[in-house]
Amino acid sequence: MQKMKYWILWVLMPGLIQSCKKEEIYVYEVNDVTVSQTGAYKPNAKSDNEIISIAYTDLFGATISQADLDDLALAYKSFGDKRMIIDMIILNFLNDPTAQIPTDAEMRSNPDQFIEDTFKKFLVRQPNEFEKWFVKDKIEKNGAITPDLVYYAFMTCNEYRFY
Amino acid sequence: MKRREFLKKAGLTAAGVVAAPYILPSGRLFAATGSRIANHVVLCLFAGGVRNWESVGKAEGNLMPNLLNGNESISPDIQFGMDPLPAKPLSSPLQNLGTLYKEFRYNEGPAGHYAAHSVALTGRYADTAINLNRPPEYPTIFELYRKHTSPTQSPLNAWWVSNSLGPYPYLHYSTYPGYGSLYGANYIQPTSLISLSGYNVLGNMRQFTSSQNTSVEELRNFLDKNFSGSYDVNSGGITNAAGEYVTVRNFLRDLLANAAAGQYNNPWGAGASMNNDMYNIFFAEEIIKKFQPELTVVNMQDVDVCHFEFTSYCNNLRKADHAVARLWNTIQSTPGMQNDTILIVVPEHGRNAQSNTIIDAFGRYAVDHTAIDGGGDQTSREIFCLVAGPGNLVNQGTVVTQQIGESIDVAPTVARILGFDSDIPSEVSLPGQHLAGAFK
Repeated sequence: MQKMKYWILWVLMPGLIQSCKKEEIYVYEVNDVTVSQTGAYKPNAKSDNEIISIAYTDLFGATISQADLDDLALAYKSFGDKRMIIDMIILNFLNDPTAQIPTDAEMRSNPDQFIEDTFKKFLVRQPNEFEKWFVKDKIEKNGAITPDLVYYAFMTCNEYRFY
Repeated sequence: MKRREFLKKAGLTAAGVVAAPYILPSGRLFAATGSRIANHVVLCLFAGGVRNWESVGKAEGNLMPNLLNGNESISPDIQFGMDPLPAKPLSSPLQNLGTLYKEFRYNEGPAGHYAAHSVALTGRYADTAINLNRPPEYPTIFELYRKHTSPTQSPLNAWWVSNSLGPYPYLHYSTYPGYGSLYGANYIQPTSLISLSGYNVLGNMRQFTSSQNTSVEELRNFLDKNFSGSYDVNSGGITNAAGEYVTVRNFLRDLLANAAAGQYNNPWGAGASMNNDMYNIFFAEEIIKKFQPELTVVNMQDVDVCHFEFTSYCNNLRKADHAVARLWNTIQSTPGMQNDTILIVVPEHGRNAQSNTIIDAFGRYAVDHTAIDGGGDQTSREIFCLVAGPGNLVNQGTVVTQQIGESIDVAPTVARILGFDSDIPSEVSLPGQHLAGAFK
């Protein structure tokens, strides 16, 4: 019996030694950061009707009527190059005088705000620093870039078609 | 250098110079398998379910005088159900310009419109489990053509012009791995798109200058590079590449503007007789004139009214016949396609021998199409097929009365005409046979 006790102690010894080992805590000299969604994870494609109705709401600030949605959905279904049809639908939206688009003066007076609002409106996220710099640089260096041009680029990019 | 060695090296160099242009990146020679019969194919699915009795059988008279020889008059009891049509577009029926298979067969699977369209375009029979809510499982003829033609073809050369929506948009590409939207056809359902309402939603586009468009591209490319979401490449449909994209978009813009201006109200002078099939062929002609595609597939389905009105079915057979004749004339008057195009006309399936119980205003019983494997009315498997083309390419004026040819032979025939038949890999090889007898 005594021999058995020694045998059990001997078998358990490595585990006891390991469990008693003091946990080492490493501390690195870096600042805390807040993690935010930038290069967004959006694995799902918007449906035909979703992309049309969302685009309408984004530009007109109202829900699309069922009759208009039916006309647009019919056009969307009737051609195989979906990107092209979306492109044409958006260009028509942008040409509508009732579309809610900032003026060129508004965009250029506060490009940072315009860029942030544009990312939030169309991509439902904050821009990262590089994105802010890139778009702002384009706006500031090119007087031909208009707010509806920027909207057009955002509404026809891949990310806009997914959620 | 010794003379013998010099000659050997010179010979090898010369052989290399000759062979190099024909060697693909894979190291394979393509010239031997790339020979074509013609550079263009127009496949017209004379669809909606056409029974041989009323077509090549002429049971109600010659309802298809532009396709078929003969002056048999239309049955007197239905004559008043026939709409007036413009003068015959052709001086001689198309059967004289090709080989007519009078006993073609839709041999397997359900006699359903989508299933049978799928058979024609994939070269494989479908069973009753075919899913109407998704593309075919096996590559369509468009994908096989675009992927296995050297060099790889753009979608400007492959068009699927459908007379209706429903599941038919699915037929421009499959879900087969390695194929799909990347090799699909440009799909269009013209009568839903090219209209005043279509113009109202698509025809008034914001115009940017070319330098502004460059800025759009730069911004969009930047955004796209930052978006790395993984998604199904087929979800966005087919894609026309940059330069061609503008060409197609402008083509659509022009069609919409013409529709809004009323230019398509009566394009053939047929007045109220102009039906959806005729409009579909008309827009297929516009595509042919603009792009001269190597592979065009267009369908008609208005004869399917036969489920309810037999006389209207006969009337629409006449209109479909008229439309095909117009199509042929357009092909023959389009530079680049004239005398270099094979036209294949084939119904997707037939109709029953047995009528249903619905009687039309002329006292005629309507007819369904019910064949399934091992059941239904097998007469709805009986169809015809006409292969027409220039006299130096096809056997003109030939009528095949024996039971030769079936629906799955259409796709391999298209492949053979366009010269990519031997380049189709074995895992997707087509089970049907090329209709060799139609060609010289």
